[in-house]
Amino acid sequence: MAKDAEKSTWKDFIWNPRTREFCGRTASSWGLILLFYLVFYIFLAGMFCLTMYVMLQTLDDHKPTWQDRLGTPGMMIRPRGESMEIIYNPQMTESWDMYAKTLDNFLSPYNNSLQAEKNDECKPDQYFVQADSGDVKNNPKRSCQFNRTLLEVCSGLEDRTYGYVDGKPCIIIKLNRVIGMLPGTDGQAPFVTCGAKKEDSEKIGELAYYPKNGTFNLMYYPYYGKKAQVNYSQPLVAIKFLNITLNEDVNIECRIISNSIPPGSERDKFAGKVSFKLRINT
Amino acid sequence: MVDFNSIVVMYTWHTHCFSLSPSHTRIPTHTRYLIRDGPNCLTPPPTTPEWVKFCRQLFGGFSILLWTGAILCFLAYAIQAATEDEPAGDNLYLGIVLSVVVIVTGCFSYFQEAKSSKIMESFKNMVPQQALVIREGEKMTINAEEVVAGDLVEVKGGDRIPADLRVVSAHGCKVDNSSLTGESEPQSRSPDCTHDNPLETRNVAFFSTNCVEGTARGIVVCTGDRTVMGRIATLTSGLESGKTPIAKEIEHFIHLITGVAVFLGITFFILAVFLGYSWLEAVIFLIGIIVANVPEGLLATVTVCLTLTAKRMAKKNCLVKNLEAVETLGSTSTICSDKTGTLTQNRMTVAHMWFDNQIHEADTTEDQSGASFDKTSITWGALARVAALCNRAVFKAGQDQLPILKRDTAGDASESALLKCIELSCGSVKQIREKNKKVAEIPFNSTNKYQLSVHETEDPNDNRYLLVMKGAPERILDRCSTIIIQGKEQPMDEEMKESFQNAYMELGGLGERVLGFCHLLMPEDQYPKGFAFDCDDVNFTTENLCFVGLMSMIDPPRAAVPDAVGKCRSAGIKVIMVTGDHPITAKAIAKGVGIISEGNETVEDIASRLNIPVSQVNPRDAKACVIHGTDLKDLSQDQMDDILRNHTEIVFARTSPQQKLIIVEGCQRLGAIVAVTGDGVNDSPALKKADIGVAMGISGSDVSKQAADMILLDDNFASIVTGVEEGRLIFDNLKKSIAYTLTSNIPEITPFLLFIIVNIPLPLGTITILCIDLGTDMVPAISLAYEAAESDIMKRQPRNPTRDKLVNERLISIAYGQIGMIQALGGFFSYFVILAENGFLPSILVGIRLNWDDRSCNDLEDSYGQQWTYEQRKIVEFTCHTAFFVSIVVVQWADVIICKTRRNSVFQQGMKNKILIFGLFEETALAAFLSYTPGMDVALRMFPLKPSWWFCAVPYSVLIFVYDEIRKLLIRRNPGGWVERETYY
Repeated sequence: MAKDAEKSTWKDFIWNPRTREFCGRTASSWGLILLFYLVFYIFLAGMFCLTMYVMLQTLDDHKPTWQDRLGTPGMMIRPRGESMEIIYNPQMTESWDMYAKTLDNFLSPYNNSLQAEKNDECKPDQYFVQADSGDVKNNPKRSCQFNRTLLEVCSGLEDRTYGYVDGKPCIIIKLNRVIGMLPGTDGQAPFVTCGAKKEDSEKIGELAYYPKNGTFNLMYYPYYGKKAQVNYSQPLVAIKFLNITLNEDVNIECRIISNSIPPGSERDKFAGKVSFKLRINT
Repeated sequence: MVDFNSIVVMYTWHTHCFSLSPSHTRIPTHTRYLIRDGPNCLTPPPTTPEWVKFCRQLFGGFSILLWTGAILCFLAYAIQAATEDEPAGDNLYLGIVLSVVVIVTGCFSYFQEAKSSKIMESFKNMVPQQALVIREGEKMTINAEEVVAGDLVEVKGGDRIPADLRVVSAHGCKVDNSSLTGESEPQSRSPDCTHDNPLETRNVAFFSTNCVEGTARGIVVCTGDRTVMGRIATLTSGLESGKTPIAKEIEHFIHLITGVAVFLGITFFILAVFLGYSWLEAVIFLIGIIVANVPEGLLATVTVCLTLTAKRMAKKNCLVKNLEAVETLGSTSTICSDKTGTLTQNRMTVAHMWFDNQIHEADTTEDQSGASFDKTSITWGALARVAALCNRAVFKAGQDQLPILKRDTAGDASESALLKCIELSCGSVKQIREKNKKVAEIPFNSTNKYQLSVHETEDPNDNRYLLVMKGAPERILDRCSTIIIQGKEQPMDEEMKESFQNAYMELGGLGERVLGFCHLLMPEDQYPKGFAFDCDDVNFTTENLCFVGLMSMIDPPRAAVPDAVGKCRSAGIKVIMVTGDHPITAKAIAKGVGIISEGNETVEDIASRLNIPVSQVNPRDAKACVIHGTDLKDLSQDQMDDILRNHTEIVFARTSPQQKLIIVEGCQRLGAIVAVTGDGVNDSPALKKADIGVAMGISGSDVSKQAADMILLDDNFASIVTGVEEGRLIFDNLKKSIAYTLTSNIPEITPFLLFIIVNIPLPLGTITILCIDLGTDMVPAISLAYEAAESDIMKRQPRNPTRDKLVNERLISIAYGQIGMIQALGGFFSYFVILAENGFLPSILVGIRLNWDDRSCNDLEDSYGQQWTYEQRKIVEFTCHTAFFVSIVVVQWADVIICKTRRNSVFQQGMKNKILIFGLFEETALAAFLSYTPGMDVALRMFPLKPSWWFCAVPYSVLIFVYDEIRKLLIRRNPGGWVERETYY
């Protein structure tokens, strides 16, 4: 008995034919409440859009309002490998082929012909400042050439395998772009230096840096943002491992040495430095 | 249904009928009996072990959901630990935090409960009772607990009976059985077996009743739980008391919220798996949704709100034993009140006097503020002298400082009443008695129905003796031949007798106990000085006396009761009187306190007014009715329902404990929430059965206090009204508090949903959600418990438990659908502001999540072409969490202000709630503390905000306030309109 009654109340709740109620409301009641919520939410959406619009008006097109989180620019390598691990076997082409392809893709904008076409030759070893004169923006801003050939043996032009096939792989290092950053004072260009972590120091062997000393030339700075400086070419440094120990994990850390970039926080493993693992199997 | 009679049958009743042999007085084996029967005390009701109570707090309510979340966190961490080299500690950390949260809130509720039960414990700390027993011919005083069956016990006036006794000898012994039967008249005890029913017979004295006067010796027949009292107590503990209304409401609400949380969690878990997230990620989403959905702090808030109210009530003399009972009183729709002690002062007081052929009214108020009568009449002097002299009651020593009415007396209730009356109006009774030395005395007995004494006169030259007599008025009248009017003796004629009869009837009709008084100055020639009066074999005249007057006594109503009953009535609460007393007395008191209001008549009243038989009166015409216990016995369930439904003013007289239960059950059957007040053991089954049992703190027996949910420390019915008011207020305020707390669930849950669906960086983390629920929201939510009522809550009907829910769909609609949505937008706005100002414009955010949360992607490009490492953008993300959190605090400012009222404008209500203002500052300070304290970036991953980010949500806060003020304005303008129907919670 009780169960029947319960059943019918449930049914009644969903559709009550006597009062013509669906889920406890009549059609007009449903209509009113839905209309109310529709109008209410449209109003809220309008209000939200208005506040967002006002906020976006306050933003500068060329420079974000705050940059305090980018005090120490990050560093990154190419190829990235899988979660910063580069493991391959020179004998097995398929194990390193994708690294070479990644680098090919990554370096194609740096082809000398493209650079010459889009970018200027700048005066090296000094900042390429293109100031605005007051409210008049000096746009678009020009960028300096970074020719692929600067990477020499790591440019992939002569050695299309970037040394991967003979166990002397190239890794390309770049410094994250930060608008307006000046990475060195007194004409001292920042440079990259790599080393093995403690226990691996024996295994790393010799390294070669391209361009010479692994410097990022000052003429590539400051960066003016992708809107103003459309064709900006981020400077690169390539390192080549000349006789790394085979068949063992080698943990490598590269850092930027500069007299104006503050050391990053301990928690951030990629601010002003980059670590990765390299293992060449045979 | 519990059968009270069966208990009586079960009792080993033959013990009071068999003959006694001398051996019964010398049983040496008491230790053996003690071991066999156990100590002579009532087994306390089985208490739940502490650890069970603790576990209930730890695993009840939302805790299960949070435990699930914590276990999922640990599982996720375990999987991560097994598969990754450097597992992120986030999940482990969150799991620990969740466990701590559950344990801390569990402990909090547990200690809260322990605290309130401790107060109750303090009631039990009474001085251990002693008993004087005669064992093996030796008198010794032992602990009452050690008394065993077969002991010979001696009791005297003022003692508590240590066990069920069969009386073997008695000298003027009277016992007060009121704690057992509710009858306040002392009953005499003698060794004769007068009745088959042990409850009626004269030779049994019951455990825990009081010996009022005289002495008696008796053999213990039953001890501990086997006594009549013990059996009633067992009956009480066998009764299931139902869940309190607020407990049901909260349970309903927990089910609702849990259902929503589980539904959303599971839906998004499945959705996440379909969208291509890994199992681990899906589990983490699940945890997030659960945490966001559960108002973690709410149960603690409810507990605190109830505790605060309980404390406030304790200040007003209502001690609440069970926290949840705080609200029950507020939803009470029927109060079944005991008469003696609750509605009345529980002390006999002289109410009327008849002398000089006129009824005079005495002052019965507690503080002697009432009208007085003419005390100059000589007749009054004579009456006072008789009342003072023919009276064995005396004040106990050492109470000279106390007001007369507060003093303790030794003697029966009527004599004490007379004593106090005379002491008040004529000065020291002791002096009167010293001046008129007592020469002889015949104490009251039931065959004579009078008491007399012979005294010397005040005048030393007058050697006559004064005979004074008091007793049942008709008996006294029979012995009188003259009557004193205006100080002059006149012969008692028919006219006078008629007038006496009228006065006697009138006073009796008021439910008062009437005594007649007469005196005689004995002629000196017959009774010269030194005459030896023999009281056993009366050798002097007791006829042809001079009638002086009548005095009538009643246990008068308490001063505050009529007002309180009136308040109950305007609050829609029906007050029913249930008493063991006589119907006439009950009706008189009911009229006196307004339970039967002026102008309302019972069927009998109508019958006597119209001079027709009772059967011809239409019962519908009578709103009031007085029902005798014996009639109640014959009523069917339907008739009972009919009476309860159709009469607004009901008095039940001469009721037994079982009938009290029937009455309570009848009211509950009609859907009423019933409060029962009572003090005796006989009330305890009804107290337990009631939705809220109210025991008396001063006069109440232990059993009744144990069965009750609430104790009136001052035994005053008026305190119940205060309780009702507080209970109603807390229900309203809990609604507000819950509306406030639930609102912030929407800004907590929407970030997760958008995170999963449109792949934006997570706007609000689980830790920050916990910071809101358990940190910033707590004090403002609690502060709403201090909010003053919006209107006179004692002028509206009690809430209907089936319709007026604590959390209803309108509350959810407002909290989730409207205010919550505005809050969520406020939070999202500050989230977008921070990301945009840091370089991530809204346009690139959609779908960015995959790269954003990739640890190995350390050159993620923003809208300006800058590149970010994982840690750098996570700091921005956590800053967003902090800003979202702060925005919720900002919008909750407006929320707490709008939640202050449900109908009135805030401008009408004012900002008088200091705790709430403190709460506003506290939550803001806490938010600033969490954001700016160094080290918080590591501990809670909260980062300092730029000052401008605090203001992002302010427009939304203003919007909430304006929106709700408009809504409330519409509710006030159009009562019963669409806005009220859809949004008034």
